[in-house]
Amino acid sequence: MSVVPAAPDQIVHVVDDDEALRDSLAWMLEANGHAVAAHESGEAFLAACEPGMTGCVLLDVRMPGMSGLEVFEELGRRRCGLPVVFITGHGDVPMAVSALKQGAVDFVEKPFGEREMLRVVEQCLRLERETRDRRQQEAETARRLEQLTQREREVLELIIVGKLNKQIADVLGISIKTVEVHRARVMEKMGAHSLAELVQHVVALEPGASTR
Amino acid sequence: MQASATARATLSRWYWAVPYLAVTVLALSMLAVVWLLQERETEVERDALARDLQWTEQSIRRAMLTTEEFLVQLARDLSAGTLDHDGFQLRANEHLAINPALSNLAWVDREHVITWPAPFDTRDLLTGEILVDDQVEAFQNSVLSARLTYGRPYVDSRGAAVLEVFAPVLRRGESLGAIVAVYSLERMLSRLVPARFAEKYRLAILDRAGQVLALSSALPEAQQPLSLTLALDPPGNGLALQAMAFRPGGAVLRYLPSALIVGLSLVVLWSVWTLRRHVQRRVRVEKERDQLFDLSLDLLCVIDLDGRFGRCNPAFERVLGHDPRSLPGRSLIDFVHAEDVAETLSMLRRLASGEPVRFETRCRCADGSYKWLMWSINPVREERLVYAVAHDVTGRKATEDALRAESAFRKAMEDSVVTGLRAIDLSGRIIYVNSAFCRMIGFDEDELVGAGPPFPYWPPEQLAECERNLSMTLSGRAPRSGFEMRILRKNGERFDARFYLSPLIDLTGRQTGWMASITDITEPKRVRAALESAHERFEAVLDGLDAAVFVADARTDEILFANLAFKRIHGFDAVGRTVRGVAVPQPERGDYRVDPRNLSPADVPRELFDGELLHPQSGRWYHVREQATRWVDGRVVRMGIATDITDRKRTAEVAREQEERLQRTARLITMGEMASTLAHELNQPLAAIANYCAGSVTRLQSGKGRTEDVLAAMQKASFQAERAGKIIRRVREFVKKSEPQRCAVDLVEVLEDAIGFADIDAHRTRIRIHTELAPDLPPVYADRIMIEQVLLNLIRNGLDAMADTLPEARVLTVRVSTVGADAVEVAVIDRGHGISEEGRAQLFTPFYTTKVEGMGMGLNICRSIIEFHNGRLLVDANPEGGTIFTFTLPTESAIERSARSA
Repeated sequence: MSVVPAAPDQIVHVVDDDEALRDSLAWMLEANGHAVAAHESGEAFLAACEPGMTGCVLLDVRMPGMSGLEVFEELGRRRCGLPVVFITGHGDVPMAVSALKQGAVDFVEKPFGEREMLRVVEQCLRLERETRDRRQQEAETARRLEQLTQREREVLELIIVGKLNKQIADVLGISIKTVEVHRARVMEKMGAHSLAELVQHVVALEPGASTR
Repeated sequence: MQASATARATLSRWYWAVPYLAVTVLALSMLAVVWLLQERETEVERDALARDLQWTEQSIRRAMLTTEEFLVQLARDLSAGTLDHDGFQLRANEHLAINPALSNLAWVDREHVITWPAPFDTRDLLTGEILVDDQVEAFQNSVLSARLTYGRPYVDSRGAAVLEVFAPVLRRGESLGAIVAVYSLERMLSRLVPARFAEKYRLAILDRAGQVLALSSALPEAQQPLSLTLALDPPGNGLALQAMAFRPGGAVLRYLPSALIVGLSLVVLWSVWTLRRHVQRRVRVEKERDQLFDLSLDLLCVIDLDGRFGRCNPAFERVLGHDPRSLPGRSLIDFVHAEDVAETLSMLRRLASGEPVRFETRCRCADGSYKWLMWSINPVREERLVYAVAHDVTGRKATEDALRAESAFRKAMEDSVVTGLRAIDLSGRIIYVNSAFCRMIGFDEDELVGAGPPFPYWPPEQLAECERNLSMTLSGRAPRSGFEMRILRKNGERFDARFYLSPLIDLTGRQTGWMASITDITEPKRVRAALESAHERFEAVLDGLDAAVFVADARTDEILFANLAFKRIHGFDAVGRTVRGVAVPQPERGDYRVDPRNLSPADVPRELFDGELLHPQSGRWYHVREQATRWVDGRVVRMGIATDITDRKRTAEVAREQEERLQRTARLITMGEMASTLAHELNQPLAAIANYCAGSVTRLQSGKGRTEDVLAAMQKASFQAERAGKIIRRVREFVKKSEPQRCAVDLVEVLEDAIGFADIDAHRTRIRIHTELAPDLPPVYADRIMIEQVLLNLIRNGLDAMADTLPEARVLTVRVSTVGADAVEVAVIDRGHGISEEGRAQLFTPFYTTKVEGMGMGLNICRSIIEFHNGRLLVDANPEGGTIFTFTLPTESAIERSARSA
C-alpha cells in the first residue's frame, strides 16, 4: 500500500507499522514539499525497494515482523545506498545507537518535533544528492581519463604532481613544444578550464584510478 | 585224533609220492619208446646197408670177373701164340680203358721179367723189371695151379694199395709166363661203386688182418658207426669190403629226445616239490588263521554288503549265545537293538561306499538280553564282503554310563551351588573353578584356569594382602574359619568374600593343591551394616529432633522411651517416671478423643490429640501430637511428640507484617512499570498529532492546503488526541489511588479495560484474546483498579506463556461466570507451556519467577489483592495444555448481607 508520489527524483520512504504515525508523518512531509512513500512494514518496503532509487528512508525500529534493524541490515546486503534514519520509541535508544555505528545517518526519538524531523530529512536528502553527484562526477572524470592517450596520461600525471613543462619535457625526453600540445589536449579532453579544476577532478577519483 | 592226524600226514605223504612216481614212470617209458624207435631205425639202416653193400660187392665182382675172362682169353691167345706184342698192347689198353679199376697190365715171362707192360705210359711196371717176392709167389701159384691167382694186396711205392691178378700162360702144360693185372683198390672203390653209395656210406677195403687198404671217402669215421663187412672174392686173399653208414645229425640228434625227457621230468619233479613246499606253508598258515578265528574272544565274522552274516566264529556263541553255524544267511540288522538300527544301516551304507567304519550297537543275545558291541569293519570291495570284528563293550558302556551319570550329577551339583569353588595346585596356579565362582566374579573359566598369582580378581589396591593370604594358604597356615578378602569383579566392582580352605587330595592320597570355597558375604555384611546403621539412624533422627518425643504406657503412664530433646527439657532421668510427674505440657484427659487407658491392642494405632498447648512455666508454645500405638512388647502405649513452635509463631507474625509492607512496595513498583509502559504507548498518538498539526500548519501557511485535506488531518489528529487522553486517564486512575477503594464494579467493564491494555501485547505476539461472559453478571464489590491490575497481570502472564505455542493454538480465554449467588469466578485460561507441580507450589512465593525479566512479585500481589477482597486465587493445569488461573470475588449483595448480619 505504498503511496508513491509523482515526479520528484527524491522520495522519502516512511516505514512504520502504526498507521496514524505513518499517515501523519507523510502528511507533514508532503506539506513541506517532500515526496513520500509510506510502507506499513519492513517487508513491504523491501518488496518495493529497487536499485537506483533515490531519497532516504525513515525506519521505525520496533515493528512486528522484520524489525527496523533487520531491514537496515538487509538494505546493506543489497548495497542500497539510501541514507537511513531510525525512528525510535522510548527505550530503543541503545538499539538505535548500534544502528548508527553500522552506518545509519541519524535517529529520531518519538515524540519528535516538526523542525527536527525536517532537518534530519533534508540533511539526508542533501547527503544523498551530494553522494550521487560525486559519483557522477567521478564517473565522468574516469570516462574522460579513458580517452587520454598513454603519453597524455603520463603528461597529466606529471602536471598533477606540479611539474613545469620544461621538467616534464626532460622527464619524458620530449620537446617543450610537444609537452605544450599534450597539455592543451589533456585540458580539452578532461573538460577543465584551469589547472586547479583539472587537479581537483583527477584527485577526487579514488587513488590509483589515474594510474591505471 | 593224534593218530588220525599222523595217518592223515602219512596219507598226504603218499599222495605226494604219486606225482613223483608218475613223472618217473612217464620219463622211463618215454625213454624206452625212444630207444625202441632208435633200434628200429638202426635195423632198417642196417638192412639198407647190407643190401647196398651186397649190391656193391656184386658190381665189383662182376667187373673183376670180366677182367678175369679177359685175362684168360689173353693168356690163351698168348699160349696159342696168336698174339704179338702189338696185339697185346692193343687189347690190353683197350681193356684198361674200359676198366678204370685196373691200373696196369703186363706180360711176365717165365723168368719173372716183365716183358710187355701196358699201358704205354705206365710208370709202375716197366719192361725189364723183375717181380718181387710176393709177386713171385703169386706167379708161381698161378703157374702151378694153372689158374688165375690173386696175389696178396700190398701198398706200392707210391703208397697206393694194389691187388695183382696173375693169369698163367701155359703151352701144353709148360709155363710160358703169366699175364699180370694190377687193380688199384682205391680206384676200385671210387670207380666201381656208384656215387650215391659213396655219399651215403664210407666204403673201405680191408686186408685179412682188418687193416684198411683203401677208403672211398675222406670223411671222418663216425662214432659208433653202423658198419658191415663183406668178404670179397677171390677167396683166400682175405680181402673184405666194409661199409659204414653216415648218420645225419650225429650224436646230438640222437640223444636230444632222451635228454629232453630227462630234463623236463626233472623240472616237473622240482616244481612238484616246490608246490608241495608252498602248499604245506599255506596249510600251516591257514591252520593258524583258523585257530585265531576259532579261539578269538572277539566276535569275528564275514558279512556281505547287505549285512548278511557269512562265516562266524565261535565267539558268537560265547558272547551272544548264538550258534555260529546257524548265523550264516541271517542279517545283522535282525540282531541289532531297535534304537540302533538307523545308525547301523547308515554305517552299512558307508561300508558299501568303501569306507572302514567303527560303531557301537546293542545286539540281542540268545537269551533276549542286549549287549553292547563295538564293531570295527573293513570292507573288501572286490569281494563285496566285509570282515567285521566286534568287541563286547557292555562292561565298558556300563562303566561309562555310570561315570557320565556321576559326572552329570556332580556337574549339576557344582552348577547349582552358590558357593564358589576354586582349586589351586601347590604352586598357586588355578586348576579348577566352578561356575558359581565364575558367576560371582564375572570372569570366564578359560580366563581363570591356568592363571597364577596375581589372580585377575585381586583388587590392585589389596595385592599385598591377597599375596599374604595366598602364601598362608600354600603353607597350610590358613585359619580354619577361613579369611575374608575383597574380590575384584571383571566389571570393576568389588565385593567381600569369605574363603574356606581344605587340602586337595588325589587318588593316591597325595596332596595336589588346595580347594577353596568362596562365599559372597557382601549381602549379609550389608544387611548387618544396614541394620546397625538403621538403628543408629533411628536414634540419631530421634535425638536430632527438636521435638520432644516420648513413649509412655497408656495405663500406668510410665515413660518407656524418651529422646534427647525430651530429656533435655524434662531431665535425663525421665525414663521410668510418669508423664504427669515430669509436667509435660499435655492435654487434659477430657481433651483426648478416646481415653487411652481403655484401648486394647486391636484398637491401635489411632490419634489421640493434635493441638497447640502453652507450657505454663516457660510460657512457650508447643504443638503436641499424641497417638496410641502398639509398643514392641505388645502393650498399648501413648506416643507423644511435642514441638516447640514459639519461634514459628513469632516468625509467622513477622512474615505477615513484612508481606504487607512488601505489597505496598510492590504496588508502587508495578505502578511505575505501568506508568512507563503507558508513557511509551502515549508516544504514538502524540507523535501522530504533532505531525498532523505541523503538516496542516505548513500547508495553511503556504496556502497550498486544501480545506478538506486539512480538515481530515485535523480530525485524525483529534482522534489521536482522544487516544492519548484515554491512556492518560487510565494512568491517572491507576496512580491516584494508593488505597483500595471498594465499590460496586461491573466486572465486564474492568475486563474490557484490561484487555484493552493487553491487546497491545496480544497484537504483537499474534495472540487472540477470547472472552466468555455469563449473562447477567452481578456487580462485584471491589477496587476497580486493583482488579484490573490482577486481570492484566494474569492475562499478560498467559500471553508470555504462549510465546512458543503454535500460532493456531494461540488463544487466551477469559471466562467470567457466577458461583452461586454470592460470588463471581474469573478464569484466565492459556495454552502455554504450563507450570510443573513444583512450580505451582512455589508460584506464590515472593520473588519466584520463570521469566527472564520478571521480578517474581506479580502473582503474589495478585493473591494478596484477591484475598483482600475475600476471594481466592487458584491455579490449575489446563487439560488442553497450559495453565488456568481462577479467582473469585464476592458480589456486592453478599457483602451487604454479611455487613448487615455483622
